[in-house]
Amino acid sequence: MDLTFTPEQLAFRDELRTWLREHGPAGALPPEPTDEDEQWAWRRAWQRTLHEGRWAGVHWPTEVGGRGATLSETAIFFEELGRAGAPLPADVLGILLAGPTLMVWGDDAQKERLLPTILSADETWCQGFSEPDAGSDFGAVKTRAVKEGDEWVVTGQKVWTSGAQYAKWCMLVARTDQDAPKHKGLTYFVLDMEQEGVDIRPLVQITGHPEFNEIFLDGARIPDSMVVGGVGNGWKVALTTLMNERAGLAFFLQVRLRQQLDRLVAEAQATGRADDPLIADRLADLHVRTEALRLMAWKGLTAIEQYGQPGPEGSLTKWLWSETNQLLVQLAVDVVGSEALTGNAGWAFELLRARGNSIEGGTTEIQKNIVAERVLGMPRGR
Amino acid sequence: MRFELSEDQQEIQGAARELLAARSTFARVREVAEREEAAPTGMPDLSAVTTTREDEALWKELGELGWTGIAVPEEHGGQGLGVIELAAITEELGYAVAPVPFLGSVAAALVVQHEGSEEQREDWLPHLAAGGLRGAVTLTGDRAPVPGAAEGGLTVVADAAANGPAALYGPGSGVVEEVDAIDPTRGHGRVAIDALDPEGELDGRGEWLGGTPTATGPGLDRATIVVAAELVGVAQRALDMTVAYVKERRQFGVPVGSFQAVQHGAAQMLRDVTMARSLTYHAAWMADAGDPAQLPVAAAMAKAAASDAGRAVTAAAVQLHGGIGFTWEADVHWLLKRAQVDAALLGGGGHHRRRVAAAQAAGGSGSGSGA
Ligand SMILES: Cc1cc2nc3c(=O)[nH]c(=O)nc-3n(C[C@H](O)[C@H](O)[C@H](O)COP(=O)(O)OP(=O)(O)OC[C@H]3O[C@@H](n4cnc5c(N)ncnc54)[C@H](O)[C@@H]3O)c2cc1C
Repeated sequence: MDLTFTPEQLAFRDELRTWLREHGPAGALPPEPTDEDEQWAWRRAWQRTLHEGRWAGVHWPTEVGGRGATLSETAIFFEELGRAGAPLPADVLGILLAGPTLMVWGDDAQKERLLPTILSADETWCQGFSEPDAGSDFGAVKTRAVKEGDEWVVTGQKVWTSGAQYAKWCMLVARTDQDAPKHKGLTYFVLDMEQEGVDIRPLVQITGHPEFNEIFLDGARIPDSMVVGGVGNGWKVALTTLMNERAGLAFFLQVRLRQQLDRLVAEAQATGRADDPLIADRLADLHVRTEALRLMAWKGLTAIEQYGQPGPEGSLTKWLWSETNQLLVQLAVDVVGSEALTGNAGWAFELLRARGNSIEGGTTEIQKNIVAERVLGMPRGR
Repeated sequence: MRFELSEDQQEIQGAARELLAARSTFARVREVAEREEAAPTGMPDLSAVTTTREDEALWKELGELGWTGIAVPEEHGGQGLGVIELAAITEELGYAVAPVPFLGSVAAALVVQHEGSEEQREDWLPHLAAGGLRGAVTLTGDRAPVPGAAEGGLTVVADAAANGPAALYGPGSGVVEEVDAIDPTRGHGRVAIDALDPEGELDGRGEWLGGTPTATGPGLDRATIVVAAELVGVAQRALDMTVAYVKERRQFGVPVGSFQAVQHGAAQMLRDVTMARSLTYHAAWMADAGDPAQLPVAAAMAKAAASDAGRAVTAAAVQLHGGIGFTWEADVHWLLKRAQVDAALLGGGGHHRRRVAAAQAAGGSGSGSGA
């Protein structure tokens, strides 16, 4: 065991810290707007700033504008971003999910066309996996793509699509073979959102914000050249995206959790609520959980560096993170009271938004299924 | 950054697991636990000490293999390795519910080594390292049964508030009353000392650790980590046994392990074990190589998570075994009992969360910097 950073890693961290001091929240970054559209523009501008400093896709290879950073450095990047109180880049889906998926499965032409505009935030992405009848049962996707000449014609409906209102591209999974068994007839496409036949309707969330959308597809067209990983391979390609989703965010999210906790501890101390032994016990429990998450993320990373791909263990951290964040915001209600129950910002917003954590990116129940079957090797569930 | 045991450390752990799989089978644990007659312990200079709760042959073997002295400095007859290696072995002893007074002895050695005076180290460490003398560590006011505590052994009593002193009681000091604890796989004693008064004289029965009444810390923290490591092993065994059982056991025409309620229960067990193990090895690393200022909270977090995991996971194991799990005949109860005792030993989850909270209040809980 060795939990110290190498001199190279420390140098990477210090370079980033210096850069963040100048360009981050403590430096040039203006305060975050509350209006959703303005917030998007703000995060997009932030991503451009990151890109100018070559920090947008640190784990991307240098040929495509990244830093070719190791996994550890990438983790350090997210930890530092979180620690500086800096936002995520606008197009997390492009940087963490679409880009890496294309790098594994895309052909040269796709990489050449699609990768460069991701880091600069010139073109952003959304993830069109879920449908009204295919949420947890993602293999039940019904949206159809039918080949006509060298194009695919798409008809169907997607739902809960985050960021679709801003996106140029969609990672779309559609059924291309009606007769093949459920998981076999799927294909992974890149859909141009700016065309006839793509109708995006905002879906207002529990928080009052329309963060995600419904997408109605009626005769939308995708050139054959935008099939990723081959016709009929959609399930496999999508798994790459999902694995990256569970592994990639772990670092940023746990640091965000840490910041929220520090803030809550400070408020509990300022108001004297921390002297209540029950509150103190819950605060301490959150500290233990948050620290465990951080360590589990690093442990997972050691495993990836040793064995390649992220493993199904990412499901453990995703589950623990969502539960801990929900416990934290509930404790905030007990600590700060009124502030957590009035208005639509700060703790009140977090209280409501956290309910989505155990649903988005795969529900907790599904994560437990994955852990039982794929980590513990239990028989197929019923 | 490498959050994984090194090859050497894995080798040590692997060897421990292999040896214990052969020596400390459930059949053997049962034989020891159910033994009626007191048997001599085979310890040369302490032949008066008897217990029905130990596998003397195994204890002797562990001493000869040097396990008992693995984290004791070479100058005091040990192998001079760290808390990480000790935790790795202790985890295996928990996994095997080994019927030996290992835990108390290595915990006592850690406290003496890190908080004792030079004279105390010279007096006690070689005997503890060799396994010829058993040790035990407990907190003041703690009425929990203390594994390894025996009249003929060395007993360390530390102030529960962690800012008070610790005392050391040698063999025959009369502070230990032997008791039958719920865990019948090893011997326990009760040490009824409610408080240590720095002004007082310890009744002439004991001496101050380190020679003067100074606050306990780095030794007790290390001992706490080792108890957490044993809990991790106990919980891991409970999980492994449960997963194996639910794959075989059939109801409604299918293995019960295919039912989601059962799967989710097992997933929760894994999560609890994983959290506890991550925090425990992190704390062990802090003890061996990290920033000493971060050790107290790291140790407290490890024990808080391990105490809770030990209880929850072994309880779930009994539940998921169904009726058979509630019988004396099934082996899962050895794990549950050991977990219950270890969870309380040196403070339970609540005790250690109080320590974390106190550090938070002092602004020193650390925000996980620098991994
Ligand atoms: C904030 C947010 C953002 C999102 N963003 C996107 C996005 O950008 N792109 C995208 O494609 N999707 C997105 N989603 C959708 C998300 O992936 C799905 O909501 C999620 O996978 C659950 O599917 P569902 O909503 O259909 O629930 P259902 O599958 O209908 O589940 C209903 C309940 O049944 C349980 N359940 C279902 N199946 C099982 C089972 N096999 N075992 C046990 N319990 C089960 C679930 O856990 C849940 O509690 C987002 C969701 C949220 C909340």
